[in-house]
Amino acid sequence: MNINCNDRDRILEDGTPAEWAALEGHAANCANCAEELRAWRSLSEAAVELRDYSDSPTLWPSIRRSLAAQATASEQRQARWSWHSLSPLPHLSFSWQAAAAAAFVLLLMLSAGWLLRPPTKSPQRSTGLLRSKALADVESAETAYVEAINKLAAEAKPQLANSETPLMANYREKLFVLDSAIGDLRAQAGQNPSNAHLRFELLAMYQEKQRTLEEIVEEKR
Amino acid sequence: MGMMGLALAWETRIPPVAQRERRVEPFGKQAAASDSVAETIRAEDLALATACQSGDLHAYERLYTLHGARMKNLARNILGSSMDAEDAVQETFLKVQRSVGSFRGQSSFVTWTFRILVNTCYDARRSRLRKKEVAVEEEREDATPRPEPRAASAHPTLRMALERALAKLTRHQRDVFLLYEVEGFRHGEISEMLEISEAASKNTLFQAKKNLRQMLEPPRHSDASGAR
Repeated sequence: MNINCNDRDRILEDGTPAEWAALEGHAANCANCAEELRAWRSLSEAAVELRDYSDSPTLWPSIRRSLAAQATASEQRQARWSWHSLSPLPHLSFSWQAAAAAAFVLLLMLSAGWLLRPPTKSPQRSTGLLRSKALADVESAETAYVEAINKLAAEAKPQLANSETPLMANYREKLFVLDSAIGDLRAQAGQNPSNAHLRFELLAMYQEKQRTLEEIVEEKR
Repeated sequence: MGMMGLALAWETRIPPVAQRERRVEPFGKQAAASDSVAETIRAEDLALATACQSGDLHAYERLYTLHGARMKNLARNILGSSMDAEDAVQETFLKVQRSVGSFRGQSSFVTWTFRILVNTCYDARRSRLRKKEVAVEEEREDATPRPEPRAASAHPTLRMALERALAKLTRHQRDVFLLYEVEGFRHGEISEMLEISEAASKNTLFQAKKNLRQMLEPPRHSDASGAR
């Protein structure tokens, strides 16, 4: 391989082994390139001086304690989440909780009415139940809840958009999954509006989304 | 700032050492690990990630045993203080534990961990600057790490000169030099850690070494007049 001084920088930056060998051969007869090569290698050798792998006997025990504490805190939070997810609308104000409770009672009544209804032959009556005022109330409560969550989402948006931390990436991914699930459930609920099970699942998804958004807002603080 | 005053002839400052460094990449890329070795490393990395995801503290201990010293050394070279470096390593482990669930294997687990470490170090530097609330001129000075005394080395003067010169490089140049030349990572790994291309990593290292050489190399005339 034929090389000259003009090839030197390119080879120093990203030369192939063959090019390095050729440069070394060239340097044998070129004082400038020999000096450059020597200085280049000297820097690599000098970098070893910045290596200090001495042991820190207290570091790992301290890290271990912190990891264990964080794991315990996380488990407690998970447990609290599970408990809260069983309780109705944990983070909402009293008025919201009252609205949600009313919606819940209405859903129960609807379900009971649906289950205990006298056998009918006409599909018209069933349609009548689906269009009942009670269901309209449930849907209106849900709409209001969704609007409240959207406000929370707007508050969390800057934090989500501007932070590139793995934690935020995790939150983004979680919200994406939750939104997809909510979309699916809403589509199903649209086809079968009086299905109480679907409504409960949808409510659980909304609650999870609300909690996630609150965590993001909390992170910001 | 007095760098030239510290400069000695390269021959006297740097003892003759083995011609080839431990990572042969710059002088012989042919030394790339064989497929089977690379496969084993990948499998170990994945196993470590999986164990950490399951919350096994022993897995974190293994991560520390394998890479803790290197993590602390890198943090100290960025932050200039052993205490800050230990804090940064600890914070990194906590962040890894918090977000390991989102690790999808898009890079190796170890390079992912080092990426978190580098970001943690710069976050620590920024918060240290904010806390000091000093005048802009002083902030500029403080923006560069202040090397603290360390374990005795073979060439303390050379180390100090190098630390001061490194402090004058750009953040990217300093990171790439430390990761490549000091910690022995490959450009492929560095590109994952710093989220740059491999070519950019090579070019940044080239620029870093060129700048360092300019800062550390004694002027030609002093070589002639100052010969001892």
